[in-house]
Amino acid sequence: MHLTESDNQTYFDKNKAREKICAVWLKAQAKTAKKWLYLAVSAGVINGLMVIIQSAILAYLLQAIIIEKLSITVIMPYLWGLAVIFVVRSLCVYAYPVWGFEVGAQVRSSVRQQLFAQFLKQGPSEIKNHQSGSLATVTLEQVDALEHYFSRYLPQQMLVAILPISIILVVMPVNWVVGVIFLITGPLVVLFMALVGMGAASASRNQFLAMSRMSGYFLDRLQGLSTLKLFGLAETELSNINTMANGFREKTMAVLRIAFLSSAILEFFSAIAVALVAVYVGLGLLGQIHFGPAEHISLHEALFVLLMAPEFFMPLRQLAINYHDRAAALGASDAILVILEKEPAGQLTSIDNLKSNVHHLIEFIHVSKKYDQRTVLTDIDLSIEQGEKVALVGESGAGKTTLINLLLGFEQPTTGCVLLNGELLTQTKSAQQMAWVGQGAYIFHGSIKDNIALAEPDASAERIYAAAVAAGVTEFSEHLSEGLETQVGERGYGLSGGQVQRIALARAFLKKAEIIVLDEPTANLDDTNKALLLDVIDKLFKHQTLIIATHDPLVINTMSRHIVVSQGSIS
Amino acid sequence: MMRDCWFFLKLFKPYSMWLVTGIILSLITSLASITLLSLSGWFITASAMAGLLSIDGNALAFNFMLPAAQIRALAITRTLGRYSERLVTHEATFRVLAEIRGWFFKQLIPLVPGRLALMRSGDLLSRMTADIDALDALYLRLVAPIFVAILGVTAVTIVLATYAPIISITNGLILLVAAVCVPWLFNRLGNEGAERITVLMANYKIRQVDTLQGFADLVANQAYGRFSAFLQQFSDRMIHTQRQNNRLMGISSALTFLLSQISFTVALVLAGLLYTENQLMGSEVALLVFCVLASFELVTPLPQALQMLAKTQKSALRIRQVAELKPTIIEPQQKVLLSQPYDIQLRDVCFRYSDQQDWVLKNINLQIPLGTKLAIVGASGSGKTTLLHLIMHYFDPEIGQVALAGYSLSQYGSEPLMTCFGVLSQRSQLFATTIKENLLMAKPDATATELEAAIKAAGLEKYISNLPEGLNTWVGESGVKVSGGEARRIALARLYLKDAPILILDEPTEGLDSETERDVFKALSVFAIHKTIIMVTHRKAGLSLVDKVYRMEQGVLSDYQK
Repeated sequence: MHLTESDNQTYFDKNKAREKICAVWLKAQAKTAKKWLYLAVSAGVINGLMVIIQSAILAYLLQAIIIEKLSITVIMPYLWGLAVIFVVRSLCVYAYPVWGFEVGAQVRSSVRQQLFAQFLKQGPSEIKNHQSGSLATVTLEQVDALEHYFSRYLPQQMLVAILPISIILVVMPVNWVVGVIFLITGPLVVLFMALVGMGAASASRNQFLAMSRMSGYFLDRLQGLSTLKLFGLAETELSNINTMANGFREKTMAVLRIAFLSSAILEFFSAIAVALVAVYVGLGLLGQIHFGPAEHISLHEALFVLLMAPEFFMPLRQLAINYHDRAAALGASDAILVILEKEPAGQLTSIDNLKSNVHHLIEFIHVSKKYDQRTVLTDIDLSIEQGEKVALVGESGAGKTTLINLLLGFEQPTTGCVLLNGELLTQTKSAQQMAWVGQGAYIFHGSIKDNIALAEPDASAERIYAAAVAAGVTEFSEHLSEGLETQVGERGYGLSGGQVQRIALARAFLKKAEIIVLDEPTANLDDTNKALLLDVIDKLFKHQTLIIATHDPLVINTMSRHIVVSQGSIS
Repeated sequence: MMRDCWFFLKLFKPYSMWLVTGIILSLITSLASITLLSLSGWFITASAMAGLLSIDGNALAFNFMLPAAQIRALAITRTLGRYSERLVTHEATFRVLAEIRGWFFKQLIPLVPGRLALMRSGDLLSRMTADIDALDALYLRLVAPIFVAILGVTAVTIVLATYAPIISITNGLILLVAAVCVPWLFNRLGNEGAERITVLMANYKIRQVDTLQGFADLVANQAYGRFSAFLQQFSDRMIHTQRQNNRLMGISSALTFLLSQISFTVALVLAGLLYTENQLMGSEVALLVFCVLASFELVTPLPQALQMLAKTQKSALRIRQVAELKPTIIEPQQKVLLSQPYDIQLRDVCFRYSDQQDWVLKNINLQIPLGTKLAIVGASGSGKTTLLHLIMHYFDPEIGQVALAGYSLSQYGSEPLMTCFGVLSQRSQLFATTIKENLLMAKPDATATELEAAIKAAGLEKYISNLPEGLNTWVGESGVKVSGGEARRIALARLYLKDAPILILDEPTEGLDSETERDVFKALSVFAIHKTIIMVTHRKAGLSLVDKVYRMEQGVLSDYQK
């Protein structure tokens, strides 16, 4: 609406380059399933070759019946031959999509795997920036949208390269004039379709733009519908919605008109080829044409080449039908690539140039962290020893959370490095040695027990129960009919904030980690509950190194060491 | 099961001329295609026979000019027919879809805000776009192919019967099996798998979202590997179910194919027998065999059509579900005109969201004469916001009455009623348009001076003068990002422009920094001097704005000392 035509043009150019990247990526994915692709294509090729033989037999049978007046018993072997071909072709008709499916299935499976690995590579801080719902849509719907490109479009593309040429090779010796008709019309079709296709590409981008604008507009108006009503504008808005919807229709039709034109061209040439062949061989049979092999043509040959004419164009027609599978896959691969291409922010610094002979448990050396232009931490030097009880204190926005994310390996520093036991800290190492309870600890779909045993799914029931008792989970779980087996999480029993905290603490306790990191454990709790919780924390983690980020004075007082974070520096 | 689809077919009615034209063009094209092949076969065979009869190689007895011309004409008819058929059917479909979108939005208007509060806007959006798009299959893939198949098969059968009734009957029967029995059988066989895949996908989505939302906890607990392996297994199960469905489809198309081949072989043998008995001419044998061969083109889209049906139906259902929701309030037959003074009175009001749920409001009595300034405090979930919604007539109370200017709210039309209220809440809805347009929503005919006054009152002057495009700056999704505080100030300016007598303030400064909070209350204290204020808050700031404070506790309203 407010975008001008020149905006559209730049959008198109960017889009074109992007489309190429997506197309290359798509092609590369097929490598994982080459075997199935070749199997599918061979089923298609066998079917195509069978069509040629079948047409030859059918044409012969018509000649045998009509001209030579042979009896059914004489032609019986040919009928059996046809029957065999039918069976083989039926099998091919079945096998072609079934094997094609496997190509798509393997690619989808592998792309999902790549996405799962990529999530881990990007780390929790990055994942938190995305809406879980839309990421989930990428792993499910967008990955599924790749299927038909691999199961239908790719094999068909190969058939287009093979089958028409085989038909020309067979027809040439039978009747070279017909062969030449095919040779001329075939490339012409491709040429015209390509010409039309160029127009189609820009129209389809136009439509894509219209579609995303329409969705954006509708979402905007749907979200604001009650506000519109408050201002008495809902009915007025209806006409805008109609205008928008009709604009979308016009853009869609513009695309389709071109798509239809290109299939009309295909249709036209194939019809013209059939008509030309029919008239040529017909007049030849009548003795009205003396050009080429016309004079010596038999009914057998004539019918055979006539039957070949539509078959010559068949693979191309099918490809045209499957063309939108390609467009859908390109769209989906764009969304997938956005995730796969993303490099994790911050790189692991090499340890070589560091002189670290002194072994601290945790050590921050000249650590700075920047997000784009914004500096969050500047030149932090910090060491924490075994068994220390540390409070990280500071206003919200001072950099506490970033410090903790670095400590957990969720992010890497922009410059400087973080060491754990004298070694460079990674997400994996920190996960092995630390237990962490974040501000909003997440409860997964499953039982309370499953949630406590998150880090150690094989832990014995006794140990899980002991952790539950220690963290005070049993205090509320005992009132539930199924105790620790109660289902929680989405669609499960609703837990209060305090109960979630306790499950998370039990989780951390069961993990038996050396270092415990707690982020604002007392947020959203009243004073009585706070005191209870602090008591539990004190009891549970007496011997471990404890790091708590907080701005609660009650918590700060219980800790022996205070590190104050303010405006990206510590004191 | 077809009910959902019927419902929408009724919406197609105004376009029936388009739809019928589309079907006729489609039929002509299919018949031209069949005739082209049959006539070509006939022509070649007839030529061959005529050529054989004439020893001197000159078969002038056979008029070849007419069939040759007919073949060319058919070739062109087929091409033009296919092109125009597609244009007409798609134009018709998309016209209907555009209308359905408008219709859908119109259905939503009375549902807002009472009924739709529970639905996520993303879900509504996908119903309004993707689901409505999916309805295109209804005509293009279902109704049109079925009509064309019925009419086309009838025509072919009649033509065949004039030459050889026996071939007409066998071909008709085999076509019937291919068109009705095969699709029906495989639709039934595939139903279970299709349902299973829907369930699997929904469950996968829940698991995937769970994994991503708890991602940090999983990584920190070394459990991500386990969870992603589980998702991978889940994906394999989905793919396996799809594989089974795909196999069924493969068998179905192989079967349809085999039937077509059997049919033409039977036709070939039968025609051969009739020819030896001199009941058919040689050229007619070719015509019949080719016609039978081509006639299967009519029924090939049908198995796919039935498969689409399930998907289309689901979309149709999803659209209907929303469109058929009952609004929470019903517009009165005879509307009372609003008049001064805008005093509000709540008498013995009790309310709950449904019969199965607990009471949200219990026996509320409240007099709010025009100019009263009151606040309600209380924990979240105590019923404060619900009370505001009853005052604005989003819902009717189950017991008791809410009255404005002496009449029950249910006696007013909702549109005039809305002119009484100005709302400021923690969610300031900005639309994807310019700041100016956003402001003008409150008063479309506001003058430049009025706008300026509103901007000044809301403390937006500095912000706007710093924007390169000033008031014409685009905000919202495709425009400049607006902070929460700025958005609230824009909402405040709208409140000022609307100049409604009753101000509803629902946690008006929630999520704002203390400076903005102070500004908002300062602006309100000047601007609302003669207006009614009903404020809901759980903060102490802002209570200076009001004269009286109530406390809401589990749906019971009581006095509260400041």
